[in-house]
Amino acid sequence: MVISTEILGIKNALAERKELKAKKCSKKGKVKYPNPAFFKAKTNMDWKKQADNLKEVAGIFVEMFKEADHKAFWKLQLDRTKNDLERCALEFKQAREMSPEELKEVFLYGEKTLGKLYRKGDMATVRREWRGLADTAYDFKEWLKIWGMLLGTFSKDLIPALNSTFHYRWMISYFCCIGFLDKNTMGQKGSALRMSHLMTYDIFRYTAENLVFLAKCDEKNGNSHELNKKVVLFDEMTMGQLMGGFPDLLGIPYQLLPVFLVSELDQLTCIPYIDAVESFGLPADTCPVPSSECGALVVDALPHMGTCFLSSSMPCDGSVMASSYMSRRFPDLPVYHLTFPVRYEYEETTADAVEDIKGCIKFVEEQTGAKWNWDTYFEQIKRFNAETAYELQKWEVNKTDYPQIIGPSYELFRKWNYEMDGGADPRIMKTFGKVNDIMMKAYERREEAWVGKMRYRGIVWSCPAHYYANFSNWLANCWGVNVLVEMESLNFTKMLETEDKEEAFMDLARLYERMVMRRHTNGGYHNVVDELWKQVEDWRIDIIIMYQHVACKNMATLQGILDDQARDKNYNMIWIEHDLMDPRTVSRKSMREKVNEYMRTVMKAEPVDATLLDFDDELSM
Amino acid sequence: MKDLKHLIYFESLLDNADNELVEQAKKDGKKIIGYTCFHIPEVLLNVDDCVSVRLRAPRTGSVDIATYYMSNYTCEFARALVERAIEGGFQFLDALAGVDACSMMNRFYEHFEMLKCNTNEKCFTTHLDVPYKTEEFSYNQMQKQLEKRLLSRLHETYGVDISDKAIRKAVKEHNEVCKIMTEIGDMRKEDNPVITGYEYHVLNVVTYTCPKYLILPYLKETLEELKKREPDEKPAFRARVGIVGSEIDDPDFTKMIEESGARVVFDRYCFGSTPGREVIELSTKEPALPQIVRHYMNACECARYMADSKVEQRRKTADRLAKEYKADGIIYEQMKYCDFWGFERALVTHVMAEEYGWPILSIDRLYNAKGSGQLRTRFQAFVESLEIKKIQKGGKV
Repeated sequence: MVISTEILGIKNALAERKELKAKKCSKKGKVKYPNPAFFKAKTNMDWKKQADNLKEVAGIFVEMFKEADHKAFWKLQLDRTKNDLERCALEFKQAREMSPEELKEVFLYGEKTLGKLYRKGDMATVRREWRGLADTAYDFKEWLKIWGMLLGTFSKDLIPALNSTFHYRWMISYFCCIGFLDKNTMGQKGSALRMSHLMTYDIFRYTAENLVFLAKCDEKNGNSHELNKKVVLFDEMTMGQLMGGFPDLLGIPYQLLPVFLVSELDQLTCIPYIDAVESFGLPADTCPVPSSECGALVVDALPHMGTCFLSSSMPCDGSVMASSYMSRRFPDLPVYHLTFPVRYEYEETTADAVEDIKGCIKFVEEQTGAKWNWDTYFEQIKRFNAETAYELQKWEVNKTDYPQIIGPSYELFRKWNYEMDGGADPRIMKTFGKVNDIMMKAYERREEAWVGKMRYRGIVWSCPAHYYANFSNWLANCWGVNVLVEMESLNFTKMLETEDKEEAFMDLARLYERMVMRRHTNGGYHNVVDELWKQVEDWRIDIIIMYQHVACKNMATLQGILDDQARDKNYNMIWIEHDLMDPRTVSRKSMREKVNEYMRTVMKAEPVDATLLDFDDELSM
Repeated sequence: MKDLKHLIYFESLLDNADNELVEQAKKDGKKIIGYTCFHIPEVLLNVDDCVSVRLRAPRTGSVDIATYYMSNYTCEFARALVERAIEGGFQFLDALAGVDACSMMNRFYEHFEMLKCNTNEKCFTTHLDVPYKTEEFSYNQMQKQLEKRLLSRLHETYGVDISDKAIRKAVKEHNEVCKIMTEIGDMRKEDNPVITGYEYHVLNVVTYTCPKYLILPYLKETLEELKKREPDEKPAFRARVGIVGSEIDDPDFTKMIEESGARVVFDRYCFGSTPGREVIELSTKEPALPQIVRHYMNACECARYMADSKVEQRRKTADRLAKEYKADGIIYEQMKYCDFWGFERALVTHVMAEEYGWPILSIDRLYNAKGSGQLRTRFQAFVESLEIKKIQKGGKV
């Protein structure tokens, strides 16, 4: 009884402190993001249905267990254990053979060869990387911090969140998120590692929060009527800035988490969806992004939720008709099609795009009962402008002889911030500030972003595959090719209007028209061909990593012109075929081989880390 | 049935993009405007002394050079046009009226410019931005684009009269062709039609690729001939089918289906007549241009239109045509690598079969499909399945 009262007392004190803090925040005009009420919204789970589902899942597990070749399984475990022991013995032996100076170097500054971290048939690396004492300790601290954040976030409504794993196979892949972080920071140390961690943390937090919302809203799962009334779904290829004018609503890029982002964590996730939609009749030559989205709809792998859906024609032809699959699966979900002019540089079309935006706002108002709020919109856009200014600062630093912020974490952060966050989350500003401080200090100290691996200045062009294949990271670690910038980062950098309402709409339209990918692949060949040569000069590029996404018609139809002009200009351009989240078309190994061959035969170069030239990661995430 | 008097002549007109009637028009001082897509109103390309030619690449062999430029995973129609352009096959054009509707065809226009495939000093290419849906502002957008990017340029470059009067005159001539083609097309509704799908396909493609004023006399004569034509005593087909889908400019494709035992009774594809050969009704209450824009945008059945209302319209149109033309089944086809039709075809084949109850054959095909044994087998199998269905329903075969 006494204990209970004490607990109650602590609880009350905590609640009072929380309330006080919230009041202080609201006095200062600060609003908590995301709205805590969204997490608190009541769920309406149908427990009987959950029990039925659990029974079904358990049945599948039992069947799998029965069908499994247990002998082979245990043999594999034994072999792996043996292999682990042998590896440990070898590493110990190598350490003993080192001179004290070499040993000290490894102990303080990390291991030099990374290929040994991969093992054929494994989904993850055999162990985490040793980055040197200080950086490994930092890395571990951040690892703990991320786990803490993930647990904290999922605890906000744990049951539906965890229950998602029994409904959707893509949810399982999120358990590998730390592996994704390790992969993206492989070889990074010092300031570069710190910046990568800061940026990845924000993306992970956004993902975790939205996964909770998806679980709470999903009719099959949390089924929160209260939250669903507030949810506006939008196509993952539609930017999020529009939601700034609806502070009481929750905008969710619908397919981002179940399809797109998860495929970057685990390239094998979407294969069943691609197969499903191809069996349904979709030709195999279409882009795997809309194909996977449609496939997920075909096999009912997307949550049923929200009040309405904002579809879009962006970024390319493949995405256009994907929305009809959505209407087919969820006929009760009202849809608005945002369709921006393709020839976006024709200024006379901007007014039409504005009409479309106004129509979209009206639609959201009608569907949700919410009202467009200019104040909150301008507030968000001011933040977005400040973030753009930080971004431009990064570009300036990277254009110098001492680029600082490179690698997949930065590339992903830029894309996510520009496209999804768009200034919505005030917490991101802090990250921008911190990253900027670290970057500027590192620049003043003339640090190497990839220590000892800064050989070539690279640019990535066309539809990028580096997250799936961890490619820009591998380029740096294996060959010293440092990707300073990628096509998808180089988007609209105009400061958006934050006072005049009509002009603000015009700017918003211009921004949307120049979304990731679309900015270059639409509106005429000059946006992607001439623009490349301009960027190559601006960034003083040595090597162009030209991704050749086999299913991207917008880019495939320019390959001859790009080739002709690169030859005329005497640029080093490496064509790398890939098929985004479908590694069966082009494996990661084949992609790496293209670079290896070019570097050996054309550049006559020696690798920085020869152990990364050839390794088997067919099954790894 | 007795052969049509001008059929061989019509077929010969389809052997080249710059056929003898196009050459004749050029000699008559006409401006030849090439185009490839329904999204640009054909009638506006026939204003004043302009003549429209819907571009094709007949007798295409290798597309190797175009494949170098555009890769082998892209629309073969677009590649065939690039190849033909590089070969100099479109040198006769005075302008190319392009629309940025699909990425691959857009790149054809761009290659036409970049590779300087036409050396006429005044020849220009347009890149119109066309809407994805049919809202009020979309009609205005289209109108503005046509005024600024097409009509004004025709006027500035060649002094073309783009007045309302000139546009109405073009519509009148266009409607003459449409009336004839509609009348001929309606003959396919008969139980034992006096025209084959192949013949109609030839006639229809001719109307797209030849100057209207030069082809009209032949069309009129053919119409009269058809009115008197006696059908075969026993129909030479075992099933009636309609075709729905993307671009088909090769009547031999229709011929292959008919050789497999079917009669093609309606043509709901690009280069087809539904839409394409409807009369444009103009009122005098407002200028012609906005009315033309609405006509084309409303009639358009392109899978690029993504709004749900348009998706529904496409399904209903296919259903209506199949009923009107008494089809036994529908063939959904797409040019291989066409993204719009790729997504549309996969879904709509299920919808039309499950919700509308139509037997469906779903295929993708290359630009040059007439030699495909695989397709022929599929057509034959489809005809057989339609026959079996008829038997099961107690009908006669």
